[in-house]
Amino acid sequence: MKEISFRTDVLPLKNELFRLALRITLNRDDAEDVVQETMMKVWNRREQWQQIESMEAFCMTICRNLALDKTKRAGNQDASLDEEGHDAPDHSYSANPEEQAMQRDKVERVRRLMDLLPEKQRTCMQLRDVEGKSYKEIAAVMDITEQQVKVNIFRARQSIKQEYLKQELYGL
Amino acid sequence: MDYKYIEQLMDRYFEAETTLKEEQILKAFFEQNEEELPESLRPYRELFASFEQNEVLGDDFDERMLQMIEEKPEVKARTISLAERFRPLMRAAAVVAILITLTTALNQSFKDDKVWADQSDYALENTTTGNEPAMAYDLGVDSLVSDSLYKPTGYLE
Repeated sequence: MKEISFRTDVLPLKNELFRLALRITLNRDDAEDVVQETMMKVWNRREQWQQIESMEAFCMTICRNLALDKTKRAGNQDASLDEEGHDAPDHSYSANPEEQAMQRDKVERVRRLMDLLPEKQRTCMQLRDVEGKSYKEIAAVMDITEQQVKVNIFRARQSIKQEYLKQELYGL
Repeated sequence: MDYKYIEQLMDRYFEAETTLKEEQILKAFFEQNEEELPESLRPYRELFASFEQNEVLGDDFDERMLQMIEEKPEVKARTISLAERFRPLMRAAAVVAILITLTTALNQSFKDDKVWADQSDYALENTTTGNEPAMAYDLGVDSLVSDSLYKPTGYLE
């Protein structure tokens, strides 16, 4: 039986969990809190670790539920879209001319479009397109069928395509 | 260069029909410079760029997390502790109390026994010298004898 340790099996999931939480809460601080709560919860259930099939899926499920709770409690699911959005992610791109700035803006625009999607579509798209998860894995994390995952991803990609191309065409 | 394959993949991507592998191909494809991309596909470059995993937590998060889980067992123990922590002490105290009571009780009864024993020993020493019945008998006989002997028989006559 494989020995599971917090340091090597749980902690390295932090960024993946953070991105998932961020996609749901749309707020960095809230997302960080959610990851912390998730890890504490997972730690407190360490007696059951050996029975867990996939630590990653287990953590993701807890993380999503906590993130949903948080947005529900704060009642900010819609409000935070405008007020928070994403702070300019200056840190992720090294400074360089206008072209880079333009690209950064475009990427930001896609991100914002993603953030406007319903939560299920957003989460499905996040897990598929950013984290590269299979439909099966996503279905397990979200407790829905693979077919529903596919439908959500289809709808998400369609809306992004339409909205994004609209913006591209009209230069919005 | 023919981009038919990519265009096909893109169509299937929007229909949610691509496999993970095909999506990886698309991601890799859109990583190349914008100028190298055909006009029709350029708009999607940013779409795939936005899928980059660039939102991360700092190392301080790890430290905080590790500190929290190291503190946790202690904190957890402390929450139950007041009752729990004193339980062994209480047990020890109870055992000591029981032992003390038992020993005093035993001591007492042992002492009592000893007193009893002493008393009976004393009694034995003083009463059972072995000659008592004989002495009593002698005394009784003496009194009887003396009674009859010294009875002033002459009074009756």
